[in-house]
This record gives sequence, structure tokens and C-alpha cells, in this order.
Amino acid sequence: MPRRKTTTEAPAPPVSRKRDLPADPYEVPDEAETPRRRRRLENNDAVDKEGVGEEIVSVEEVKSAVEVTPAKRRGRPPKSAVTGTPKAQATTPSNRRSRTLAETPVKLNGINTPSRRNIADRSARRKSARALIDRVIGGTVSDDEVEEGDIAREIYESSEDEEAEAEEQAGIEEGQEPATPSKAPGRKRRATGRKKSPTPPRDLPPHEQYFYQNKPGLAKTSNNTLSSLDLLKHDEYFSVLRQLEDPHAADVNFLQSLHAESFPQWAFELSQGFSTCLYGYGSKRRLLHNFATYLSSQNPSHKIVIINGYVRTLTARDILTTLTSALPSLAPGGGGGTGNPSTTLQTLLTNLTNTPAPDADGSPTTLTILVNSIDSPSLRSKPALQSLLAQLASHARVRLACTADTADFSLLWDAALRASLNLVFHDCTTFAPRAPCELDVVDEVHELLGRKARRAGGKEGVAFVLRSLPENARALFRLLVGEVLVAAEEQGGGAGAGGAGGGGEGEVAVEYRMVYNKAVEEFICSSEMAFRTLLKE
Amino acid sequence: MAENEYNNVSYEEDDHRVAFIFNANPGDSSSSSKPAARPTKRRKVVKADAPGPQEGLQAGPAFPPLFNGAEGPDAVRIRRELFETAWPVLEGRIQHVLREANRATLDQVSSFLQQAAEVETDKIPAGFIITGPNIASQDLLFEQLAERLCTAARARFVRLRASEAPHLKAALKKIIRDATARAADEDDDVDAEVMQGGRKYLDYDLESLHVFLNQQQQQSRRVVVAFQDSEAFDSGLLTDLITLFHSWRGRIQFDLLFGVATSVELFQARLLKSTARQLYGAQFDVVQANSVLDSVIKSAVAGTQAKLRIGPSLLRSLVERQQDQVAGIQVFISSLKYAYMCHFYANPLSVLLASHDSLDRKLLQPEHIEAVRTLDSFKAETEAAVDARQLNHAQSLIEDDDYLVGQILEQEEKRQAYLLRLLRALHLLTSTGLSSTSFTDLYILALGDGIDIDQSSGTVPLEDAVKRQGPDEFLSLIDRLLSAVQAGNSELGLEGWESDAEDFVTSLTDLRDEVDGLMERTKKGNGTALKSKYSAQSRVMRTTVVAQKVQLSRDSATLSEEDKAFTNAIDALLGLLSQALQCDPVDNLFLHEVWVFDSKSPYRDVFVPRPGATFGRALSRPHDYLACACCGRANGGLGSTLPATSILYHLYLEAGALINVADLWSAYYALVGEESDVGLDERSALVHFYRGMAELRMMGFVKQSKKKADHVAKLKWL
Repeated sequence: MPRRKTTTEAPAPPVSRKRDLPADPYEVPDEAETPRRRRRLENNDAVDKEGVGEEIVSVEEVKSAVEVTPAKRRGRPPKSAVTGTPKAQATTPSNRRSRTLAETPVKLNGINTPSRRNIADRSARRKSARALIDRVIGGTVSDDEVEEGDIAREIYESSEDEEAEAEEQAGIEEGQEPATPSKAPGRKRRATGRKKSPTPPRDLPPHEQYFYQNKPGLAKTSNNTLSSLDLLKHDEYFSVLRQLEDPHAADVNFLQSLHAESFPQWAFELSQGFSTCLYGYGSKRRLLHNFATYLSSQNPSHKIVIINGYVRTLTARDILTTLTSALPSLAPGGGGGTGNPSTTLQTLLTNLTNTPAPDADGSPTTLTILVNSIDSPSLRSKPALQSLLAQLASHARVRLACTADTADFSLLWDAALRASLNLVFHDCTTFAPRAPCELDVVDEVHELLGRKARRAGGKEGVAFVLRSLPENARALFRLLVGEVLVAAEEQGGGAGAGGAGGGGEGEVAVEYRMVYNKAVEEFICSSEMAFRTLLKE
Repeated sequence: MAENEYNNVSYEEDDHRVAFIFNANPGDSSSSSKPAARPTKRRKVVKADAPGPQEGLQAGPAFPPLFNGAEGPDAVRIRRELFETAWPVLEGRIQHVLREANRATLDQVSSFLQQAAEVETDKIPAGFIITGPNIASQDLLFEQLAERLCTAARARFVRLRASEAPHLKAALKKIIRDATARAADEDDDVDAEVMQGGRKYLDYDLESLHVFLNQQQQQSRRVVVAFQDSEAFDSGLLTDLITLFHSWRGRIQFDLLFGVATSVELFQARLLKSTARQLYGAQFDVVQANSVLDSVIKSAVAGTQAKLRIGPSLLRSLVERQQDQVAGIQVFISSLKYAYMCHFYANPLSVLLASHDSLDRKLLQPEHIEAVRTLDSFKAETEAAVDARQLNHAQSLIEDDDYLVGQILEQEEKRQAYLLRLLRALHLLTSTGLSSTSFTDLYILALGDGIDIDQSSGTVPLEDAVKRQGPDEFLSLIDRLLSAVQAGNSELGLEGWESDAEDFVTSLTDLRDEVDGLMERTKKGNGTALKSKYSAQSRVMRTTVVAQKVQLSRDSATLSEEDKAFTNAIDALLGLLSQALQCDPVDNLFLHEVWVFDSKSPYRDVFVPRPGATFGRALSRPHDYLACACCGRANGGLGSTLPATSILYHLYLEAGALINVADLWSAYYALVGEESDVGLDERSALVHFYRGMAELRMMGFVKQSKKKADHVAKLKWL
């Protein structure tokens, strides 16, 4: 190939003479890096790579023409005559001699000394690149080397196809010393490399894609930030959300109704000791709620407990106290809730086993537990909760149905848990939007972006403050908030639907006296004095 | 559904609560007063099923009627009854098999502990039970151990799991609580006794256990502590516990049991040498999962009591799953149960399995008849009838409902006959000992392809093996066959069928007598062994040197009269066997769909979910689920009408490992923004964008990245 080039390209005497000069290879890169750098700058400036492509090629053409010439000059003239039989040529001793001659100075110059870049450059790609480089530096284009060089270039290029993007990065490293000489054979290479670079390979199998995308040095993203964008606040989010209309609402509802048709099947599976697990994209909260409605309509004596896994503050105790209170036989005692979770669980289960049928018709009490988002962060981070659920589910009179939101929920359970849960899975893709209680969209996104724009303390903060207050103060707070809300509603209703959203809110007021009276009625405080102190809290 | 959309006010307040008791209609406390009113609202299918809720009280919900609701309530009821009678029988058998499988281990362990109690030693007896890697199946074993040791050795049994006992204190607490609580069932005033004498012990003080045990009247001071998953315990904790138990040995007699999944050597290596020296151990092996599986299949799947047959392809996939993944036997049983559930729940023709007296013309609706006529096996049957020139039969099958019902009723007998034949053949086959394939494989083979022992074309080529038998082997083979016929197989639930197969038995005995006689004669005669023309020795290579050339010739003519007779006997046996071991594949039977369940898809969907693919499909092709008018055009590609999360997912797939959110946003906005055909203004688009991002995060597709500002990292490549 280089040979073809030498014949087609006109020599450019002035530059080539200059190119001839360097006996010391160290000079080469310095001189040669300038165009390269310029090119890269151009490249960076250009938003559209394709657009600049032509320009680059033209620059390169000039350059390669420039750089190829020395090769031609150094190459001995008679060689072109014998091109027809490269193999025969390759074995001639003269050829070999010339090569060794050529290589010696390279070694001396220290480019290829193993001490400098030895172990790191083992890859075939680097080696082939080096072979190309060496050859050009040596200036000998003997025929067997042409063969070799082709192979080397093939290796280089094949890896380049994959690394289209990484190529530039690598080019910088390599470009430090010997990059320029490689230009001569590299003209074609560069052209092809650039052509393929913009689009990454498509349709790779997932694992290949993983390795492709996680190649070091491939993290090429633009430096744009969202600073120009005014991020959403909670109130804005909700007010916009309220006005938005989902074009798919009807379809989503239809999908729900399709899923609802399998309620009897799920109920049957539950009754046979399986636990159902509903997975798929979209909120399944409503679906589960409808399922609960269906179950209770089928058999009103069933106790159904719904656990909202998405609530961040979920603890085992919460679950157990609710379960305990759900059982009529345990509720009067009220005990159990105070001990540690595992004892409570034991009493709960033994109680379930021992309780004789309370109904006249002889059906045993069954406890159905419906868990929203069994793979939510709060349920997933504590393995004890999963084993608690599993223990519950393995009891004959406890039925468990849950929903899962992530795609890899099945990793939650090990073999033992899985066996005691005895799960059957159903694809319940609902496409239903998640309610604000399930997913705090704004907070999630801001957390994702690393912006600490949480509401003052968030829900947890409020809960924390409230918990630290004495009980009476808490009760008063509840009362106050209730009154304010009622007042706001009344006012909003009076002012008409339009003004309800923004205008009225600030001006809602509650009469002091009325609140005090109510507080006294509810035994929150006894005197006005106490009332004032409580209000201060 | 629309109604549900708007009555959600009722549970808003519950949304933020961790857990709450569901109340169907909050305002109405007497919700049970109108149970029939509610189901009809949502279940269009159930409308015909008026008495449903009342019936459902007994054992779960009623089956919904099939045939689009046209199925009669009687048929529905029968299907349910069939399921409810068919499954428990099997379940009982399976439990029996499992318990039997563990019995040997149980005996060994309890006798070891018994002996250890008598031997005076200052070491703690420790049983190492090699349970194998599947922790799920250990539960039953330890449960049985607890039962056995509580009754036989009058010991207190405490089961410890690593998750329950993270540290010494917790472990001791658990031990003491369990050891005392078990007795609490027997006498109630334990709590008082523990605290008796004005002393109250800390709940991790073994002294309390000691006192408690002393107060028990019986002389059982033994406490068996079982570490179910000993590998999962911290080795320091184990060492501490063992040392502690050892130091209490004079007062409380501890016995230890360790469930070991790997090997005792590995376990020992984790303990201190001084600790290991305090143990006096023995090793017990549990029956291998494979053999358990085999016997479960024998008794529950292949056995005569199984009403429903699991079809060959489903059974094969179940068995393969057992072998490929280390799924416990429990998984297999669940799958089996699920197959039963599917069949009786969803196949209207399963009602035909009912006994004759309940199955009458009235029960079978026109829909049933029609359904039967759509079956593959019906088609095959009529075509076969036409080919056999039984045109009347074929015509009546197609046109005459009553004739068809008659035929259907006849099938029950044919089914039983077929199954009996199949099982007997299989039993004979395994008892010949000639085939090395396991029973399970044979059974699957027999169902799928039938049994045929022909060497070249058969499914179980035994012909050569039979032919190669020597006289002694021949006799023992016949003996084995005879005893198989006499004894039947209890695992399969197969009784001896001597009376049914008199011909077979008499011919076998005749053959035996004959060969016996032949042997006698040959022995008396020339002392050479009896041989047949099939045995290898009969073919002799002869080398003759004729005119300095070597000639090879085969010679088989040297059979004596007796040998010839023996050859005839072998041929006769072969004939008998190929007749007895002849069985059609199950597909050839008319109406096999009624009692064979061979559909893999519900099983696969339900037990081996592929959530990744499901999520991927839902997000990349929402049209598949929504069937909306707008998104059909996208056809798996990007479309501006797709839900926001779906658009983001598409963009996400194109992005690299690190995603710039700003770029993502601009790409998204370019797609749905004002200039596009959707035309969202910036803030609304941003709201959608936010939701999409939040959902992607919730589903675990992205996470925060600290590498660059406003970047997120990709988490999923599948």
C-alpha cells in the first residue's frame, strides 16, 4: 500500500527536505505534533465531527503527502522494480542487512528499550503500532516488512474499530514520541478510523456492551450541566403535575382491568399456600388495593393487612404491632407489642395456630398480608425483615402477596427464604404512575444529581421534631393543623375553584379562642397558660 | 374500574402509614351483610356464579366458570372437588416419602446420642449431619429430628440459625428461651418457676436453664442444640459456645448437632484445636437429593394414585431444573402442585376425570362437547377411524353428541388400562436390570415415545442385552421378572398382577423349567456350558492354512441340540418381553388432554420469572402492553408519544456508562418539546422528565455518580 502511495503522490520537495533532516528521532515528534494538536483543537471546537471531517482529511492529505515522501526517498529505487515477487525479495541477505542497519539507531535512541515502556505495552495493538512506527523511523520498506506491516496495521485497525472513540485518547499517549512517523502508512488508517468513530457499535450482546462501555478512558460525556435550567421545586412540580394529563390514562386503566381479571386466580394461589409476587413496570399499589377489596368481598372474615414497603421508616415492630392488632384474639391482651420482634412473632404465630375458628361457619382465621414494594430500600436493606416476612408466609394460615418494583428483586431471597416464601410470580406491568407517597420524585432526582435541595429536613425531619415533643404538644399540633386545613378548605371553596391553589393559602387563619376551646375539650390542656406554653412548643 | 379511580379518597390517609388493617368499606362496619354485591362489580366473569362467596368459605375461593362463564356451576364445583381430592392424596404420599428418606439418618442420630449419653466422657457429643448444599431442604430434617429427640430421648431441642444468633448473647438467649418455652406447652407456670426463690436470672444466664431443668420432674437434663447452617456461624461464636457448653457440662448435658453443607474437615479447620478436642463426634449422611427426587417421582408422578399425569416435556424440564440448579425438592413439589392447580383451574375438560356417577349427560354441556371436538386427539382418532374404514364410527364421533359422550365415558377405563400397562411395563423393565437408565428417564421416555425394546427402532433397545444372556443370567432374569409380577411395586402403588397375566407367568415358568432341564442335560452330557447362537463364543474364527495362504472362515455350526433349544428359549423370552414391554406414547390416546398436563409455559412464567426482560419490554415497547393508538408507530423505537420513562429508557440504552443528565434532558426536550408534535412546554416536560428519572432510579437503572457534575452512572446492561 505504501508503495501505491509513493507512486501516486507527487513529491513535495521543500517540506520533504526538511523532513529528511532529523537524524535524532527526538526531534521528530516536536515538529510533527503541531499539526496534530491543531487538528485536535479543531476537532474539539467543532460540535459536529462529520462537518469537520472533510477539512481534516484535506489537512491530512497534505501532510501525508509530505510525510510519505521520505519513505520513498529512503527506499532504494530498484525495489519498486521487483515488487512482483515480494517473497523472493524478502529472503535476500542484502535486505536483511539493511534492516538490521536501520534498526540499530532506533535502539540507541531508546524508543524501543524495554526498560522504558516494557510491561505495559504488551498488547498486540501497541506492538503492532510500534512495528509500524519503527519501520517508518528506520525508513526501510523492505518487502517482507510490508507484509508484516500489513498484518500489524490490520491488528491496529481492527482494535481501532472497536475503540473508535478511545483512539484519540490513546493517540495522545502514543503521540508523545513517535507518532509522527506513523503518519506515512497511517493516512489510510486515520481516514477509516475517523469514519467509524462517531457511532458506537450497535447490537452488541449485553455483556459485550458492558465491557465496551466500561473501557477506561471511554467516559466521554460533554461538560454541559443543568446550571442553566431552573430545577423544579416541590410546589411547582405538584402544581404542574396537577394540570398535566396522561394521554395513556385510559389504556392504563384498561391494563389494570385486565390484571384484575386474574384476581380469582391469585386468590386461589394464595389459598393453596403460594405467595404471589407481582412484578413489572408501573405502580402496582392500586392493583394490590383492588385485590384486597376483592379478597375481602370474597370472604369478609379475612383479616387483611397492607404493608407499605415504600415508607422509609418501616420497622419490624410496626409490622408486628399491626398484625397483632389485626387478630381479634390477641388484640384485647394488647401484649406482645412490647417485647422484641422475634418473641412477638412467636406469640403471633402460635396464636394463629391455636386460635379456634371464631366464625360460626368453621372457617379458620386467615391473615392475608399484602406488601407494597417488597424490594423497596427500607425492606431491602434489612435482611431481618425479609426473613420475618418469610416466617410469616410459611405459616399455614398466613397468606402473602407482594409487589416488586425493581428488575432484580429475585436476588432478595436465598434458597431458604425462597422455599418458605413459596413464591409464584406474575407479570403485572401496569404503567400506572406512582403516587407521591410511593415515590418522592423531586427528592429522588435531586439526590440523583447530588443536589441537596431536600425540603427542610424532609418528611423524616418533621417526624423527628414531632417525636421529640411531649404528647400534649403533639396533640395540639394535630389539632391546629386540622383546623387550618379545614379553614383553608372552606375558604378555598368560598373563593371558588380558581383561587384555591395559590392565593388563599397564605391568608388562612384560625381563631385563637376556638382552638383553645377545642383543646380544652380534648383534654390537651387545662388552662390558658398551659395552652400558650404548648403553642410555643 | 372507573369507579375505582375515583373512590381512592378512602385510603389516602393510609398511604403514608407503614402498615394498616385493610377495611374494604370504611363507613360500613357490617360489610358482610352484602357479600354477593361486591364481586360482581369487578369480576365480569363471575356473574353466573351467584353462590360463589358462600361456598368459598370452606377452602378458599371458588373456581371461576370457564367457557366465558357459560360453564355450569356443577361442573365448576366438580373441578374444584377433583382438585381438592386429588392433591392432598399426593401431598400425603410425598411427605411420607420425604420422611422415610430421612428415617435412616434419624435413627442413626438418635441412637448415637443415646449411646453418647451412656458413655462417661467429659466431651460433648456432637453429630455432624452432612446435609448438602441445599439449605431449604434441611428444615424438614431438623423438624423431624426435633420431634424424634423430644419424644425418644426426652431432650429439649433448640434449633439455631446463624441469622438468629449473631452473637453469643443472642445465641444464649435463644437457647434458653427455646429450651424453656418448649416445656411451657406442657406446664404453664414456668415463668413463675424460673423466677422462683426471689432470684431472677438474666435471660442469657445458663443458670436459669439449669434451675429450670432441675425443677422439671423428669430426669431429662439434656439439651440438644442444633446448628442448622453451621457454615454461616462465626467461628469465634462457635468456639465460645462450645467452650461454654463444655464448662456447664456437669450441670446441663448439652448435645450438639451441626448441619454441615461442605465437609467435616472444613468445619473442623474453622474451630480451635482445643475446642475441637472437646467434641466427641460422629458423622451422618443424608440421602442424596437425586434419589429423593427419584422416589418422589415414582410415588407422586408416576404412581397409580396420581390422577393427573405430568406430560413428558414438562416433567423433563422440571427434572432438568432440579439437576441444573440446586433447587430443593420443595421447589419440585410446588411445581407439581402448580401443575395440578393449573389443570383443574383452567381446563374445563378436567371435569371428565370425575367418577362415572357424577358425570352424566346433564353435566356435559354443549360447550364441553364442542371443546372435545377441537382437541388434537379427537382429530387423530377420527382420522384413524376413517383410515381404518370405520366410517360410521368417525361420522358419529363428529355428528352425534350422545355417541361422543358414550365414547368419552369409555375412555376412563381405557385410561386406567393404559396406565396400568405402562407402569407394569416400566416395573418389569427396571426389574430386569438390563437398562441402565434411571426410572425417571424411563418414565419420561415411555410417556413421550412409548416403550419398544426392538434393537434398531425401539426406544429402549434391550434386544441385544437379552440375547447375550448366558443360561444362569437367563434363569435369574426370569426369576426377577416373575417376582416383579408377583410383588408389584409399593412405591408406584402397583400391586402384583399374577392373576391378570397368567399367560405371561406360565410361559415364563415353562421357559425356566426348560432351560433348567437343558442345563442339567448339558452338564451330564459333555460338561460344556450351555450357549446360544447369540453368545459371543458361538462365533469362532477359523484360520486354516491352505497352500501357504491363510484362510479365515466363520463358523457357527457347532451348536449342539441343547444349545439350539436354549437359543429358541431366548427367542421365546424375547417375544414375551417385547409383547409385555410394549407401550404406546401417551399422545396416541384419545382424549389424553383430559388427564395429561404438559404445558410448560405457566410453569416457566410463574416459577422462573424473567423480570429483566419484562421490564425491558415494557419500557422499550410500551405498545405491547398499552395497545394505545398513539405508540404503535414507534414499533420498538423512540417515539415522542411514549411514556416519559420509556423515552428515557431508550435514550438510556444508547448512552454510555456515564450519562450526562443535562444532555439527556436536552435530548428528551428536543423529542417532546414545543417544536415536536407533542408540544409540551418546558416546565411540563421537565416534570415528566423528573418522573422518568425518579422511576429509572427506583427501578435500579441509574445511580448517582460523583465523577462529574450532573452525571448519573448506568447500572444495567441486560
